Amino acid sequence: MKAFTALIHRELIEHRGAFLIGPLLLVVVMFGATILAFTVGRVDAKFSGALLTVAPLRVYELGFLGFGVAWSLYLMATLFFYAADGFAADKRNNAMLFWKSMPVGDFKVLLSKLVAAITLLPGTVYGVALLSGVLLYGVAFVAMLINGTATVGALGAIVMVYGHVALTILITIAVGLVWYLPYLALIGGLATAMGRWAIPVSLVLPAIAATLEWVTLGGLHPFTTHTWNYLSYRATFPLMEDGYIDSWFVGTEPFNALLYASDLLGRVDWAQVGIGIVFALAVMYLGSEYRRRSNDN
Amino acid sequence: MNELSLASQPEIIEPIVSARGLRKKFGRKEILHGLDFDIPPGRIYGLIGHNGAGKTTTLNAMLGLTNCEGTIRVLGEDPFAKRAKLMENVAFISDVASLPRFLRVRELFALLSNIHPNFSIDKARSFLEGTDIKPEMKVKHLSKGMIAQLHLAVVMAIDAKLLVLDEPTLGLDITYRKRFYRRLLEDYMTEERTLLITTHQVDEIEFMLSDIMFIRDGELILHMQMETVNDKFTQLVVNDAEAQAAARAYNPVYEETRFGQTVMIFDGVDRNLLEPFGRLSTPTLSDLFVALMQRPTANPESAR
Repeated sequence: MKAFTALIHRELIEHRGAFLIGPLLLVVVMFGATILAFTVGRVDAKFSGALLTVAPLRVYELGFLGFGVAWSLYLMATLFFYAADGFAADKRNNAMLFWKSMPVGDFKVLLSKLVAAITLLPGTVYGVALLSGVLLYGVAFVAMLINGTATVGALGAIVMVYGHVALTILITIAVGLVWYLPYLALIGGLATAMGRWAIPVSLVLPAIAATLEWVTLGGLHPFTTHTWNYLSYRATFPLMEDGYIDSWFVGTEPFNALLYASDLLGRVDWAQVGIGIVFALAVMYLGSEYRRRSNDN
Repeated sequence: MNELSLASQPEIIEPIVSARGLRKKFGRKEILHGLDFDIPPGRIYGLIGHNGAGKTTTLNAMLGLTNCEGTIRVLGEDPFAKRAKLMENVAFISDVASLPRFLRVRELFALLSNIHPNFSIDKARSFLEGTDIKPEMKVKHLSKGMIAQLHLAVVMAIDAKLLVLDEPTLGLDITYRKRFYRRLLEDYMTEERTLLITTHQVDEIEFMLSDIMFIRDGELILHMQMETVNDKFTQLVVNDAEAQAAARAYNPVYEETRFGQTVMIFDGVDRNLLEPFGRLSTPTLSDLFVALMQRPTANPESAR
């Protein structure tokens, strides 16, 4: 376990640029831009003429949730490229033989990359997302001080909002990671064999699979096949349909992470999650067998 | 069985590496043609051969990096099936540039101390004392020589029974190469450890070898202890034509002309018989290598 944890840690060291330094720089730039906007008067912190219609806590809530969406999209894109790059990195960096001189098997190495992709690496981005929320909190509170809406009660309320939104982002990322795990594993497995070519191949693979079904089993066109329908279903995040988010948008109640979580978890097709995990492990095994024999390939 | 009979039985030393009928094909081309050899513990072996002779493939088979026909056992295990377990007791450098370039030296040591049960971070640090390598340096910022020093420090800090070095000093200047091998001998080798080296710079490792294996076109053509090499092979430097003709009667395995003198190498010929013809000596490993490894089709002039 110690070795496995160390292997996960090395993934963070190797990809800290994308998962730690890059996000931190983004936060610094965003925070700097916000400070600048306040300094040069671009932001009307007093909400002149609109104070009665603006609910500062709602603005903060929406702002932090918006950050959460933005960080989730960033994470999704980064993990996609991580899977294509990280699983081939040892070969590309000419370090394959060094890692093979270590007493860890190829399956363990690949599994550590996959586990890093769903734990430590997104965890780091989540940490930065929380930091961006704290900075937004600071900005919101300063704005409230300026426009005179800041009270001790508001301070407590804003902490509650922070907690709920932070929990919401965590649950969303966690569900997203287990839901999209088979895609991550597939890209990683392909990258083990073909390096960065896994990026275009993984993008055309669903179309190829659907076309094969259409050619062999018939149908109107490839995008009406069972394969395509299934892949579309598995590519859609469970939250897309009507649910708690929609009712919260039209209401006035503060965002409740627990209600959101129960709504989201209730929508997840857990059987598919289980199938996805088995598929991911199978892909890792096949990738490790390729890697084990890579000297012969 | 009584105590006396037990004591009188000779002690059987298990070889560190044992290969029987080792064959390897890439596509239709066979690279190794059924190698048979044992490497006992506590020896320093030199595996020497031309480019493409099969040295690295043989080492890869020992290290579990490639699957071969035949049987190979390292420390009693099948290396291809049990590579991860075997690497607890086997260390290797197969390319000095293979250290992960994104790591700092301290990060590398910290990772290894968690990944490798037989790695000692204190030993690794002590091996770097007196060098220009500092813990905060990134591997990618080190010179080629420094990377070689660091890699050597890493493998020497692993308490392994077998150390395999495949061209460990490739691309390094003579100073680094000498320092590399001196360090290896002084700080690493013990009776319990076995060292296997391949290199093209044969003369630089000759002083430290206890055994040699010459491999040519996937076959072992020489496998013996260095003492035996000294006894078996004789080099004769002869000047006059009459003596040359007489010496040729003893079938030299190799003959060439250097600066007007004829140099012949004999295999298993009594030195007393050759003494009257000229100056005798033991051939250097590189001379022996050239003598035994030359391929008549590639070098017809020197083939006799």
